[in-house]
Amino acid sequence: MDGRHSIELALPGASIGAVAGAMAGGLTLFAGVPTGLATLSALALAVPLAVFGGLYGVLLGHGVFRPGTFGPAGLYWMAAFPLSRLLQESVAGIGMADGVFGFLAYQAMVALGFAIGFVWMHERLMPHWLLRRAGANPRAEALLGLYVQYAQALRARKGAKR
Amino acid sequence: MPIRKLPDAPPSVHILGPTVFLVALGVGMGESYMWPRLVLLFGPEIRWLFLIGVTLQAVVMLEMARYAMATGESIFSGAARVFKPLMWFFFIVAIAVYIWPGHLSAGAAAFEEITGIPWVVTAVIGLILVGVVFSLAKVIYNVLENVLSLLIGALVLGTAVVAAMVGSWGDVANTITGMFAIGYLPPEAMSAAWFPVIVGACAFAGPSGMQQMWYTLHLRDSGAGMGAHMPKVRGLRHAGEQEAMPSRGFMFDTEDPAEMAKWKGWRRWVTFDALLLFWGITMLVTISFTVIAQAAARQNPGVREVIQGDDREVALTAMADAVSSAGSSVLGTVFLGFIALIGLNATLGLFDSFSRGQADMTYNFVPGAKKLRMSHLYAGFLWGVIIFGILILLFGPADGPSGILDTLAFLSTFAMGAYCVTLLLVNNRMLPKPIRPKWWTNVIIGFGAVFYLGMLFYSLFAFGVVVG
Repeated sequence: MDGRHSIELALPGASIGAVAGAMAGGLTLFAGVPTGLATLSALALAVPLAVFGGLYGVLLGHGVFRPGTFGPAGLYWMAAFPLSRLLQESVAGIGMADGVFGFLAYQAMVALGFAIGFVWMHERLMPHWLLRRAGANPRAEALLGLYVQYAQALRARKGAKR
Repeated sequence: MPIRKLPDAPPSVHILGPTVFLVALGVGMGESYMWPRLVLLFGPEIRWLFLIGVTLQAVVMLEMARYAMATGESIFSGAARVFKPLMWFFFIVAIAVYIWPGHLSAGAAAFEEITGIPWVVTAVIGLILVGVVFSLAKVIYNVLENVLSLLIGALVLGTAVVAAMVGSWGDVANTITGMFAIGYLPPEAMSAAWFPVIVGACAFAGPSGMQQMWYTLHLRDSGAGMGAHMPKVRGLRHAGEQEAMPSRGFMFDTEDPAEMAKWKGWRRWVTFDALLLFWGITMLVTISFTVIAQAAARQNPGVREVIQGDDREVALTAMADAVSSAGSSVLGTVFLGFIALIGLNATLGLFDSFSRGQADMTYNFVPGAKKLRMSHLYAGFLWGVIIFGILILLFGPADGPSGILDTLAFLSTFAMGAYCVTLLLVNNRMLPKPIRPKWWTNVIIGFGAVFYLGMLFYSLFAFGVVVG
C-alpha cells in the first residue's frame, strides 16, 4: 500500500518531466528524421525525465527534499538531466561533437536552468494534487501538512494586521 | 509612522515570491534579442556589460525591498516623503513611457509568423483580455502570480531544453567567459550607430525603466514584511470588498531584538529571491538565447549581416530562420513562440504594474482621490491605457509617434539613474538607523546612478544621440 502512496506523489513531477521531454524530443520529429526514429528520440528523453521528475516527488514525500528549496533539487537535476540527455543521444542522437565529457559538462550546466523551471512548476502543481489525495494517502497528507505550515505562516501575517 | 508588529518571515526559503513579476518583466527583449544580437556582432566579451547591468539590478531590487518591507509603503511614497516633485516626476515619466503599446508588437508579430493571424488582431484581443481578467479578478495579485508563474515556468523549461539540444560546451563556455572581459569595447561599438544601442541594452539587462519601483507595490500586495498590514488591491468586480487603504505605512520597533531577528529573516527571504530567482533566471534565459543564437550563426553565417540592421522584426525573423537551420523549422517556430510568450508576459506585467503605480500615487497624493477606492483608480488607469493602446493600434503608429520614441527611451534610462538617487535618499534618510543600508550597498547604488546617467549623457554629448 505504501508503494502506491509513494507513487501517487510522483505524478506532478513525472508529468512535468514527460511534457518537457516530449516537447523537446518532439522537435526532432520535424527535423527530417524518419518518424519512427523521431518518436524514439521523443520517448528517449520524455521517459527518463518523467522517471526522474517522479522520483523527485517521491523523495520530497520521504523528506529527502524540502518543499520550496532549490539547492538540493539543483544538484539532483545536475545529475539526472545529463543522464537523460545521454540516454536520448545514445538511443536516437546525432553524435556528440564535444565528446562525452564535454557533452555531459554542458548538459549539467543547462540542467541548473532546467531545475529552476522544474521546481518552479512543481511548487505550483504539487499542493493542488496533495489537496486531492490527502484524504486517502497518509504520505500526501503529511506532505500537505508541510505546505499548510507555510500557508499558516501567511495567514498569521494577515491576522497580524487586525 | 505608527508602530506595528513585524510579521514572521516565511519559515523556509520559499521559492515563490513577488519576484515572479520582476522576472516576467525583466526577461524581455533585452535577454531574448538585444544581448544575443550584440554577442553575434561584437563577440561574447561584450557580455561583461550585461553582467554589471543584471548584478546592479539585483542590488537595486534588494534596496527597493528594504524600504517597502520595512514600511509597507511603495517607493513612490518614500520619494514623496523626501521631495514631493520627485514622485510627480516618476508619475509623468510612467505615463510618457508606458502608454504606448509598442512592446506588444514584437510578441504579436512573432505570433503572426507562427499562425498567420494579423498581429493587430492579436494585439487588440490581447489588450481586451488583459483588461477583462484584471477586472474580474477577486485579488489581482493572486491571479497574476499564478498566470505569470505558469508562463515563466514553461519559458524556463523550454529554453533550457532547446539550449541543451542545439548548443555545445564551446558556446556556453564562450558566453560565460565573455562575461569577465571587463572593459572590453571594440572600436565599432564606440560609434554613433552602436554606442546608444549598447546603452539601451545595459538599461534593458533585467527590468528596465520603472519596473523596479513597481516591484515595491507587488511586495506590498504579497504581504511581505510590513506589507502584511496593507489591504490588497481588488479587481473592479470585487471593488466593494476593498478595505480602505491607510494613508501612511507602518514601522516596526527596531530597538526590539525579537523584531530585528524577524527583519533579518525577511532580508534572507528577499535576498534568496534576488539572487536565485531574479539574477539566476535572467542570466539563464539570456545565456540560453545567446547559445541558441551562436549555434544558429555557426550554421548560417549570413545571419550576422542581417541582424546588423536595426529593424527588430526583420532581425527576429532572421534569428528564427537561423535557429531553424540549426535544428529544424519547428525550432524556429519554437523560438518565435518564446518571443510571443515574452510579449504576453510583458503585456500582463506592465499593464498591471503601470496601473498599480499610478493608482497608488493618485490615491495617496491627489486631493479628493481617497473618495474613490484603490480598485476604482486601478481599473481607471488600466482601462485608460488599454483604450489608448487600442486606438493607437487601429489608427496610429503602433510604436507611438516615431519622433518622440527616442525621447521616451531616454526618459526610461534617465528614470533608472533617477531611481538610484531616490533610493539612496529614501533608505538613508527615512529609515531608522538599525535598518539602513550598509556603506558598500550605498556605493553600489551610487555606482548605478553614475553608470546609467553617465552612459546616457556620454551618448548624448559624444554622439548627439540618445538610446534607441
